[in-house]
Amino acid sequence: MSKLKILVVDDSEAFRKVMIELLIRAGFHEVVEAEDYDQAIAVFKQNRPRISFVDMILPGESGVDVTKAILKIDPKAVVIAMSSIINKKLIRESLDAGAKDFLLKPTNDIALSSVLAMWSD
Amino acid sequence: MGLLSRKTKVSRPGRENGLGISRKYNFTQGRTYVVEESPPDISFDAFVNIVSTSVEGSKKPVGLAISRQHPDLIRQKYGLEATPILWLATRTGDEVIAPTNLGILTHTLIKFVEENPAGVILLDGLEYLVSNNDFNKVLRIIDQVHDHISQSKATMIIPVDPRAFSQKELALLERNTEKIARTSGST
Repeated sequence: MSKLKILVVDDSEAFRKVMIELLIRAGFHEVVEAEDYDQAIAVFKQNRPRISFVDMILPGESGVDVTKAILKIDPKAVVIAMSSIINKKLIRESLDAGAKDFLLKPTNDIALSSVLAMWSD
Repeated sequence: MGLLSRKTKVSRPGRENGLGISRKYNFTQGRTYVVEESPPDISFDAFVNIVSTSVEGSKKPVGLAISRQHPDLIRQKYGLEATPILWLATRTGDEVIAPTNLGILTHTLIKFVEENPAGVILLDGLEYLVSNNDFNKVLRIIDQVHDHISQSKATMIIPVDPRAFSQKELALLERNTEKIARTSGST
């Protein structure tokens, strides 16, 4: 079991629930969640997670804004962008904002395990 | 009418622009993967991820997708620009393969592997093919294409809805292939 803290930012409660279940199954039990920009920043400041999975399309301020704000607080944090479509412009913006990688939603244990293996060291 | 004189036209496969993301699926070249899932999310994610990324300095592989979903929808959702996508449907058109036209389908797949020995095929819509043809005929095509794939560095990904097949049919489909089963709880 990993002690590494993970943040999941998504406005869909159902998505967060299943994502947390996948993370727990992968051995990551320290998972916190947020549904929008304000909550994400507050939860991030309080918990300082090592990895944040951030949906790029959020109500109000976008996932790109969340990414920039997280990295301003902690430049060593790892942000993984997520989206349910592959919009190359949006992915480019996310990576330019400092996201390390991208996950297509709905995600699955194979893609998630690969990302965790790459960025959890 | 000869095979090549029919209507289906496959555009020349090109390499997708890199997305700057990592390779998440380590599928072995020369293998066929049957992914038990519905909807085919893992299969599409794997296909798009593989054709959009390169590993260890090698070139990005080119792909060919055959699907029951309309090519425009696939391009829109997965951002594919250079990958030919053929629609399994009973309509006429350049990017269409009729589900009963198994000869054209086989020819298209084998030709792609011969011309792109490190290419990646996504064959989606097996249930639709089987509902229009005898299961054994469809199985024979998969075996035939798989034989070409195993003599090359190509890869084929076949999503399969396990509810649409009997245990015996699934066993036959997975006989020469690698099976990937979706775990419950995927988002």
